[in-house]
Amino acid sequence: MSISAEEAQKMKNEVAVGCCRTEAGTVISAKNLEDPAIIPDLVDSNLLEIPDNCLKIGEVIGAKLKETVDSLTPFTPEMFEDIKKMEEDEDIKLSNEDQAAVLKINKKAGEKITIDDLEDPMHFDKLEDSLLIDLNDSDNVLSRREAVGKTLSQDLPALTPIKKAVIKEYPDSTTEEGGKSNQNNVQRGGVLKIKIDEGKGIDIELPLNTTVQGGAQTIAESNQSKSLKIKDTADKEKKAEEEIIVRKLKRKYFEINEVKFARESKIEDKTLYIRKDICQDAVDSEDLVVDLKIDIITPDDYDKFSNTIMDVQPIAVKEEGELGEGITRVIDGVIVMVTGTDEEGVQIGEFGSSEGILERNIMWGRPGAPEKGEIFIKTDVKVKAGTGMERPGPMAAHKATDFITQEIREVLKELDESLKVREEEFVQKRRPGKKKVAIIKEIMGQGAMHDNYLLPVEPVGTLGAKANVDLGNVPIVVSPLQVIDGCIHALTCIGPASKETSRHYWREPLVMEAMNDDEIDLTTVILIGSPQVNSEKFYVSKLLGMAVESMDLDGAIVTTEGFGNNHVDFASNIEQVGKRGVPVVGVTYAAVQGQLVVGNEYMDAMVDLNKSRQGIENEILENNCLTKEDAIRAIAMLKSKVAGEEIKAPERSWNPNVKLNNIEVIEDTLGEKIELAPNETSLKMSKKRKEIYEKDEKDN
Amino acid sequence: MNNLKYISTERYYEGIITEINDCAVAIDFKGRMGEIYIPRRMLISDYKIKVGQEVGFMMTYPEVLASDVNEDYLANIKRSNIKKLRKNNKKSKGGAK
Repeated sequence: MSISAEEAQKMKNEVAVGCCRTEAGTVISAKNLEDPAIIPDLVDSNLLEIPDNCLKIGEVIGAKLKETVDSLTPFTPEMFEDIKKMEEDEDIKLSNEDQAAVLKINKKAGEKITIDDLEDPMHFDKLEDSLLIDLNDSDNVLSRREAVGKTLSQDLPALTPIKKAVIKEYPDSTTEEGGKSNQNNVQRGGVLKIKIDEGKGIDIELPLNTTVQGGAQTIAESNQSKSLKIKDTADKEKKAEEEIIVRKLKRKYFEINEVKFARESKIEDKTLYIRKDICQDAVDSEDLVVDLKIDIITPDDYDKFSNTIMDVQPIAVKEEGELGEGITRVIDGVIVMVTGTDEEGVQIGEFGSSEGILERNIMWGRPGAPEKGEIFIKTDVKVKAGTGMERPGPMAAHKATDFITQEIREVLKELDESLKVREEEFVQKRRPGKKKVAIIKEIMGQGAMHDNYLLPVEPVGTLGAKANVDLGNVPIVVSPLQVIDGCIHALTCIGPASKETSRHYWREPLVMEAMNDDEIDLTTVILIGSPQVNSEKFYVSKLLGMAVESMDLDGAIVTTEGFGNNHVDFASNIEQVGKRGVPVVGVTYAAVQGQLVVGNEYMDAMVDLNKSRQGIENEILENNCLTKEDAIRAIAMLKSKVAGEEIKAPERSWNPNVKLNNIEVIEDTLGEKIELAPNETSLKMSKKRKEIYEKDEKDN
Repeated sequence: MNNLKYISTERYYEGIITEINDCAVAIDFKGRMGEIYIPRRMLISDYKIKVGQEVGFMMTYPEVLASDVNEDYLANIKRSNIKKLRKNNKKSKGGAK
């Protein structure tokens, strides 16, 4: 496949390979050249070998071939009559020579300054406004012409004007003053300190993020005499950007450390009693359910076998207000786990089943998983033969389980307030003046286990909720607090390592991080379903585009759970947002098994959720789901993209080090350590499994 | 992936959709070369999916990774086989031994 002239111009530094048979005497133009994007694939599959002296696209265009060459031949100098030397980049690009030279990236001592290292002068106004650079003292700052090609005598962070003092070539001027003032202004640990002379020694500290966030500054401390004038304006600015509290949600935790059966359901002295004959009532409540058993799993039973885990749910009830605001009571230390089969023993949902020994199949502590030490009220639901694979089957299993949870909710609702052990408050704020951001969460909607109940009356309940599939998978706008108050009851059951359980949404780390980040203005969470057929996917995704258009967003994060055809709409959703000029970051599990099947130009900022060592779906519940570390990465990436920073192209195949590098950059910028979520290597592994499936670990 | 000795042996296959339910799709390989059962979300389609439609896909030959048996998986298989046996016994005659 040949390339176009514009592409050739863009890719003039790529290797030149003929795309088809080319006759002697041909003057090479773009249409004779192979697309450089596929060349690595050709090399990998041994169809092509690139010699060391292979010419660049920029060199061969316009050159005349001496000999006839076959298709897929790398062009080398001896094949041509005349090869034009490519002009050195530097000659053609240095513009604004007399403007100040300001570093765009961090540079180390001993490194040479190139044009690419310098910030474009067109950004200076913006940067000065945001107090990120100070060019008032521009007498000492070198011009771009002077700076290029010089060597640094000390490490310099990004956004530092280059002065003679830091250049090796100007040894005389390395005065103590020059070196020192630089050190004063710029602090290690990611904080840029700028001194304003008029303000009489007022130091302003602001995070030197990978992002350049306007207006993110906080006045940290003032030295001695405060200038009233400056303080006044600062106050005014602050008022204009004051946070608006939209609504609050309080969670009250009630600790339970034992679960038993009794005559009636009640809570007494940190013990939850469940009515003995409740199972029969639960069975009777749903036509398709033929049997239901409750297992109380205490930490001592973690080594027991369990049928496939269909969901992990908190037990919570509204005390005051509607879902998403007011007060919610929740049981601390106990969760509900839905499991089940049909009458013939076929696991409900069949695929990606995580049946097996509990402690080997659960990635403890993930937002959507149980915590170690918690007690599970595990229902084992048996539905009519053959219905486990049709929508009503799994739904009946969830509803029958919810019948039991609902009875516990009633008890919890009446419980004496004095038994509360702790409280947690979530505040939804709008932050005018900050970047407006929306989180778009793709939820499954292909049918049966690929479904979600939305907006129940009680947190993670089923009563009053509508199934996402029945709603047509269309975008639904909810508040961040509705998400963490359990507005999604998840029926998703494919790929245990990457499915998002109800508890995941209840503790959704991305929503929590975005809500608490005072540099962004989280406006909303949009839930959008993922239907089966492509035409339906594009239908809902267009609706999303229109919804987003009306929101005047500055940025968006699109997430999806699991992998498969939902990546088709994931790409389409990102496109619909991106083509409206909204910077967008995509978040999904990809790695080895979940590699994206389609892409588009807006998918340049992606966060991979993989945690598994081998990059695969390894049947461990919640292992590859969104965690706090991913949320931090996604938000940092969005901020960078909003600030217009370049995001490097990905490597050709999955490389876990990319993530670690990004984490390191964020840690350096924030000056704090980011806890990485542990993966399956922290779990107990059977001896066999260790020997067979993960034996490459030993080889490494 | 690095465990494979014969990597990139993928080749083009065609098949026929033989069963669709709310969870899964069954596909028979053309030429009676086998059958696969995949979750709905693993099937990409521009059209509403129907039994009888033809599908195309690339597939490699599965390669056995080692001679040993994974006891955990074996236990699961045994468990489900026993369930099936019991079920069949019940059907054939109220639990004749």
